[in-house]
Amino acid sequence: MRGLLRRFAENPAATAGLIMLAAILFAALTASFFFPGDPMAPRGAPLLPPDGRFPFGTDMLGRDVLAGVFHGARVSLLIGFLSAIVSVLIGVVVGAAAGFFDGAVDDVLVRVTEFFQTIPSFIFAILLVAILTPGVTSIIVAIAVVTWPPIARLARTEFMALRSRQFVEAAVLAGVPRLRIISREILPNAVTPLIVMGSLLVATAILTESSLSFLGLGDPNHISWGYMIGSSRTVFRQAWWLSVFPGCAIVLTVLAINLVGEGLNDALNPHLKGRVKFES
Amino acid sequence: MRIEALNGIAGRFLIALMALMAVGIGLAKADPVRGGTLNSTLWPEPPGLIIGINLNAPTLLPATKIFEGLLTYDFNLNPEPMLAKSWEVSKDGLIYTFHLRHNVKWHDGAPFTSKDVVFSLTKFIPEVHSRSRATFKRVQVTAPDDYTVVVTLKEPYGPLLRSFDAISAPIVPAHIYEGTNYRDNPANRHPIGTGPFKFDEWKPGQYIHLVRNDDYYIKGEPYLDDIYYRFIPDSASRALALESGQVQLATQNDLELVDVKRLNSNPSLKVTTKGWEWGSPISWLEMNIRRKPFDDVRFRKAVMYALDRNFIRDTIFFGFAKVATGPIHSSSPFYTDDVTKYAYDPAKAKALLDEMGLKPDADGVRVKIGLLGLPYGEMWDRLSQYIKQALGAVGVEVTLQPSDVAGWGNRIANWDVDMSTTYLTTLSDPALGVARTYLTDNQKKGVLFTNTSGYSNPEVDKLFAEAASLPDQDKRKALYDKAQKILTDQVALAWLVELQWPTVYSAKLKNVVINGLGPNGNFASAYFEK
Amino acid sequence: MRVAGFLLQWIVKALAVVLAITILNFFLLRLAPGDPAMVMAGEAGSADQTFLDQVRHEYGLDKPLPAQLAIYVEKVFTINLGESYRFHRPVAAMLLERLPATLLLTGTAYAFALILGPLLGALAAMRPRSLLDRAISVLSLFFYATPIFWIGLLLILLFSVRLGWLPPFGMHGFIPPDGLLAQALDTLQHLLLPAFTLGLFYIAVYIRLTRASMLETAGLEYVKTARAKGLPEWRVATAHILRTALLPIITFAGLQAGQLVGGALVVETVFAWPGIGRLAFDALFQRDYNLLLGVFLLSSLMVVFFNMLTDVVLRLADPRVGARA
Repeated sequence: MRGLLRRFAENPAATAGLIMLAAILFAALTASFFFPGDPMAPRGAPLLPPDGRFPFGTDMLGRDVLAGVFHGARVSLLIGFLSAIVSVLIGVVVGAAAGFFDGAVDDVLVRVTEFFQTIPSFIFAILLVAILTPGVTSIIVAIAVVTWPPIARLARTEFMALRSRQFVEAAVLAGVPRLRIISREILPNAVTPLIVMGSLLVATAILTESSLSFLGLGDPNHISWGYMIGSSRTVFRQAWWLSVFPGCAIVLTVLAINLVGEGLNDALNPHLKGRVKFES
Repeated sequence: MRIEALNGIAGRFLIALMALMAVGIGLAKADPVRGGTLNSTLWPEPPGLIIGINLNAPTLLPATKIFEGLLTYDFNLNPEPMLAKSWEVSKDGLIYTFHLRHNVKWHDGAPFTSKDVVFSLTKFIPEVHSRSRATFKRVQVTAPDDYTVVVTLKEPYGPLLRSFDAISAPIVPAHIYEGTNYRDNPANRHPIGTGPFKFDEWKPGQYIHLVRNDDYYIKGEPYLDDIYYRFIPDSASRALALESGQVQLATQNDLELVDVKRLNSNPSLKVTTKGWEWGSPISWLEMNIRRKPFDDVRFRKAVMYALDRNFIRDTIFFGFAKVATGPIHSSSPFYTDDVTKYAYDPAKAKALLDEMGLKPDADGVRVKIGLLGLPYGEMWDRLSQYIKQALGAVGVEVTLQPSDVAGWGNRIANWDVDMSTTYLTTLSDPALGVARTYLTDNQKKGVLFTNTSGYSNPEVDKLFAEAASLPDQDKRKALYDKAQKILTDQVALAWLVELQWPTVYSAKLKNVVINGLGPNGNFASAYFEK
Repeated sequence: MRVAGFLLQWIVKALAVVLAITILNFFLLRLAPGDPAMVMAGEAGSADQTFLDQVRHEYGLDKPLPAQLAIYVEKVFTINLGESYRFHRPVAAMLLERLPATLLLTGTAYAFALILGPLLGALAAMRPRSLLDRAISVLSLFFYATPIFWIGLLLILLFSVRLGWLPPFGMHGFIPPDGLLAQALDTLQHLLLPAFTLGLFYIAVYIRLTRASMLETAGLEYVKTARAKGLPEWRVATAHILRTALLPIITFAGLQAGQLVGGALVVETVFAWPGIGRLAFDALFQRDYNLLLGVFLLSSLMVVFFNMLTDVVLRLADPRVGARA
């Protein structure tokens, strides 16, 4: 563990990412302190350019953009982390089952995974959100449903590799129940690459949420960065501040998470430095 | 200056002088000139061009240049000749006689006769036209000769004379449609009408092209050589295309109102909000009276007091709206402003809610309700956001329920909603466009644009029924006045604003908006100033 | 024989995908609240029961769901995608009209990314931890973290609104100029911003992929041997490292290519580009079931096709792949 921390801290990019992420978390946690009340409530005249009172300006209903950026951090991070967690859960369950039980189960699950990878993921996500009606929950579900297949593949590979290891074979021979083997013996050993991949998924999920919101499929009851850009698209030529500031928030957050994720990867697999899993 | 205030010789002299000046200005104006191509925006791409089979706004704009009605209507919705050169109505209001023009030809060269009118009014419209079906099922239509059409009613029906424009009663060629399946007719892809412009080409995803009808029945008209309706999918792009002169006309929802405000100051463009009198759209917040707490009139009044409709007009609609006072549009001859009014007064709203026993809890919340907003883009989303904030300020917590057009329509039609926002055209006569929203027997589950709120009042039902069946306009108005008073007093709906759809056009383009049909007119007299 | 077997395997796969996609999406679409009749009534601002019944009858929406599905599946296997509910035109024709625009956009973005990405990635990998490496890495990190639509908006602000150099939307000017060359130039002008926008994300991916892959390969035994034999560094880099490092890039490119339609949707929206992605988006909100199913089928088949292509290319590039499989 100490070695891990040391390796992580020696990586300047990862450290920078961690600091940025901490700042964004700070914004999310203190949003209600610095900007009490509903961030969706009008605070001043509409479309004020950035000045002393509203450093990020106001939007078309006179809402404070800075307050929106602070409060938006909550929804964006929430959606990012929750959908990544759900996605990893689905992926691990499917992948573990496929990797541990071979034969027919594996075959079916592999086909199902392949099939989900064949459907154009972003259009599929849009379809799901439209069917479930836009909201934080439906967005999380949609993102999880379209992102789990690579996790499942990774989990399957890890499980297949681990299953043939001696300590697992010994447990099987000793008659330990399969679920117990999976949860006690295999999962802890497979968890490292899954954490790395899951952390990168958080970034992907935040990007996807922003695109969905931009297309008008966000949750209007909760302010998010994508929603802020999407709901002011018609005036982006006149009022640049409405899209620039929330956009910067997205870029910094995603960048921070990617840096941390890679830092974790390098720290956990010192031998495979630089090798990164890519997800679309 | 108020002319009636001018008395005596000096006043009369002044009037004469002004009249002379008017003549002088008229003479100085150049005569219309032939030639030129009009480029208009059109969005979204329409599903078809046959009025009746489709009634979408983007169908009507180009199709009203191809198809015509017997009549058209001025800004006050008084009838003017089109395919009928004159008409009489019998004293009892039961028999309408139309005298048709003699020199009209269909775009395929066949002559236009009373046979086409009889076919359109008795077969085509009752079969396909969801909006006019009910009107024309009341009438019998006969043709004593090739150029006379007699429309007979069993009992008087006030709005009939306002139902003969190209949108309400398009005249289609009998020789092409009679005996066919109207919806599958190959001519639907290449429409044939009598109008000043002929269909030329539809390039999917790009444009609809109309060309001048050289055989048009008014000599010299139309002046334009052709019209392109171009599909530009993004409103900012449409505004840009107008500014750069690539298109010369845009209307209705083509432009974001924030852009219209900017275009208004461009000297090479003109903006008018006239020309939608036939439609007279009003937006409102509908409350499901079948559900609590909306069944209590005090709650509905509280909602009215809680909303600052001047703010809605100025900030959300950028001034292109007028605060609505009730169910009938202020441009209608049947409008009265002698109704119960609700100025913005949150304190009154709170008092009413208190009176109902809806006390605020620790968080200041008295009651929680849902709002299904009209899913027509950012502007309507902002309206929903504003309503949420305004009602929240008096302790009514609103949850916004996002949806798309299909989901929105489905929930409203099936009464599965607390509150919703919408706008609806109130049309040329209250019997056509207003009554449908309030009549008890028009509560039809599963059908959009009926009485979906569940409002029911036998007195109002009676007033609407009586007003529809009278031929005399003054008597009708008295009944509608009474209905307006009752409906506003009971807040059947929370009327928000009358929408003023802007038409933005090149300053060189003349005679675009010349009557109550506005951009849905036939453009026969439109021309470009050289 | 081996080629035939290979083809057969892919054809079976494609058919299975078609069937599964059709059934899944068919039921998903029907789950969405509201139907085409409601959309048409909504757009017309007018409705009565007769109208709704007529529309539902015309499209066969009044039949039970399994019957509707059976009809649709039967049609698809006779290569008939049916008619669009909204436009009353054959879905296949509408897809073919829009496909070239999407292929042009994504193809350009892709070509751009596949040339620049590996190039920059290789440059960065040649001198790890140098200033150049760091600059390229930072750049790619930023592109990778930026929402596509946001880049698009910023580029429009800069190049169209501020500088006025490039058109902000559409694929052609209003009045296409005369002559093929002039028309091509016109389209090229319109293409630059959207293709660049879409390409940036992929560039970022390929830079990182190439760099990582090359660094990994560079540590392998046979590269060390090559170096030890005294081969010039650039020969080692191109002949040994890059060739091996390309394999994951090809794999990834194949995977990505199939997702073209989805990726293009956002860019098509921002730039009002008349492609398939945007068509799908509008079709969804108009409940134009046939049209949307058509888009799903087409794009899924594209995924299968590109996966097959990748398989072929990988077999050619690295004979071990075939032997392993």
